[in-house]
Amino acid sequence: MKALTANRLIDGEVVFWTGETWSERFAAARLFDDESAAEAAEAHAKSNVTELIEPYLIDVSAVDGGVAPISYRERLRALGPTNKLEHGKQAAGGADIAVLAAAHGAARSKGRVDLIRRK
Amino acid sequence: MYRYDDIDREILADRVAEFREQCARRLAGDITEEQFKPLRLKNGLYLQLHAYMLRVAIPYGVLDSAKLRRLAHVARTYDRGYGHFTTRTNLQLHWIKLRDAADILESLAEVGLHAIQTSGNCIRNLTADPHAGATADEVDDPRVWAEVIRQWSTFHPEFSYLPRKFKIAVTGSPTDRAAIRVYDIGLRLLRDDDGALSFQVLAGGGLGRSPHLGSVIRDRLPAKHLLSYLQAILRVYNRAGRRDNPNKARIKILVAALGVAEFSRQVEEEWELTDQASIDLPDTELARIRADFQPAAMAVLPPVSAAFEAAKAADPALARFARNNVTAHKQPGYGLVNVSLKAIGETPGDCSADQMDAVADLAERYSLDEVRVTYEQNLLLPHVKLDDVAAVHAGLVAAGLATPNIGLISDIIACPGLDYCALANARAIPIAQDIARRFADPALAEKIGQLNIKISGCINACGHHHVGHIGILGVDKKGEEFYQLTLGGAADDDAALGQALGPALSADRVAPAIDDLVAAYLRERRAGERFIDTFRRTGLAPFKEAVYAEAH
Repeated sequence: MKALTANRLIDGEVVFWTGETWSERFAAARLFDDESAAEAAEAHAKSNVTELIEPYLIDVSAVDGGVAPISYRERLRALGPTNKLEHGKQAAGGADIAVLAAAHGAARSKGRVDLIRRK
Repeated sequence: MYRYDDIDREILADRVAEFREQCARRLAGDITEEQFKPLRLKNGLYLQLHAYMLRVAIPYGVLDSAKLRRLAHVARTYDRGYGHFTTRTNLQLHWIKLRDAADILESLAEVGLHAIQTSGNCIRNLTADPHAGATADEVDDPRVWAEVIRQWSTFHPEFSYLPRKFKIAVTGSPTDRAAIRVYDIGLRLLRDDDGALSFQVLAGGGLGRSPHLGSVIRDRLPAKHLLSYLQAILRVYNRAGRRDNPNKARIKILVAALGVAEFSRQVEEEWELTDQASIDLPDTELARIRADFQPAAMAVLPPVSAAFEAAKAADPALARFARNNVTAHKQPGYGLVNVSLKAIGETPGDCSADQMDAVADLAERYSLDEVRVTYEQNLLLPHVKLDDVAAVHAGLVAAGLATPNIGLISDIIACPGLDYCALANARAIPIAQDIARRFADPALAEKIGQLNIKISGCINACGHHHVGHIGILGVDKKGEEFYQLTLGGAADDDAALGQALGPALSADRVAPAIDDLVAAYLRERRAGERFIDTFRRTGLAPFKEAVYAEAH
């Protein structure tokens, strides 16, 4: 299962594609079971150069209570820094944040590896 | 402190106006991210995990109260009320918005701050001995020479696209407080028998994926030839440094490949061909720059302050602070007061806007308006009367900045790691917090004595793990955070690279392993030995046994 993420150009905020718009909450992300649909959404996002930076697909999977990114790096992006829980998306709290915070175990997502390779 | 003149101010104003236009063109879609990225990076603006990060240059770690207050203002207005001081003595702001970036740079420029030379393959912002101008053992003020190099290197057209980034550190003292052996070029000022100044020039140091300690390539360079000699080094590097592989592009790889003797020979050859007089700084310019670093008038005081001695006798917390955080000044009756940014359980190097204001107030009132940033991610008030240390301590206590742990086990260097950094493989901050909490008892920390723990969240080694007495490197093992420990590194006069202790540990095993290492040290140590001394005598064996015994 995949989700599509990027950073928003104007403020750098982590955003997720809902299928219609870009949301700051991972819980609103559209989940792609179909690889080709995910790649089509990614290609479309890459054409949106005035709103986004570096859109890429991440691997997600079912966890207790919902769905979470598989890699801890992506969970950190969806939550915020672990040294300051009052900063980042986690500050808002809520059930969806609790699900992400409780998720553990990891395998690095392919999209992120590709991004690092490019850097 | 160097005061910007009209030319400096005009350069900064032009730079801000140019970047404002570049940002507008990017937001309008007139230039792509691929085109914009190198432009924003040249203005210190990186994209990290959660937001943009602005790296503000603090040339050779020197601030005054006006600059520090402006950093506080920017942190409060445009970020989340704090900043992170780095091992390069810069300040990183981790929650910056692109739409604010030009306004921030404009605000910083008003007090002579900027983000120039904080990114890209140029000569980066310099670092220097934080005790400059205040320590009895220095032969000349390294800030003067660091400022000379800064002015020469800023926007230097020939050295703006080097094979890789290039870092220079300067000290004027035989005691190395600037880690000059882990820099691309390290410079140490010497006073010759005839009274003339010269530089010992080191090259080829660096950490990262392939750590190397710098080697002396010229023992005595007449100081007046500094710039032409630096040019010769950079020309050799620019010509022969590898551009095919970024992992092998730093000067350390070139020096190691050629050998120190051959590299030195090529530099000397290049230097002989140079029209030195056209490059070296005229005496009048040196005098102009030097004038800005004249020591302020200091009071004539007895070497011992009766008031300070009485205050210490009455207040054990002050006495402990004085033992660990106050060091001798060249002027009798003064001291250097170290301000630890390593409060137990907090993020190493982080400083809130309110804390920055508090330090600025103390500097203005008690330290001739000077503040320094150290590569250990702490601050320092360089010129405090011993009579005033109790008042400064009280001010630091009120600001939560009086942790008496300089050089001790909880004075941990940690890079931002995976909590913020897009390059990191693992978190560094929570590991530092775990260890510091375990050694929160100040009496225990003092009993253990000097112990430098340095943590990096990836192989790029921003946390200097190779030169920690205990180094900790975060790695990604099949998607999990693991940590490799090294022992025996040092960044100072006896610089050394650490040796791997054994297999990497999971995050929850790191702090217990530090416990085991400390217990082994306390068991093995002989009178007067620091951790590093014991390690050098015993080698890895007792420490390895202590950490991995259970696995046998």
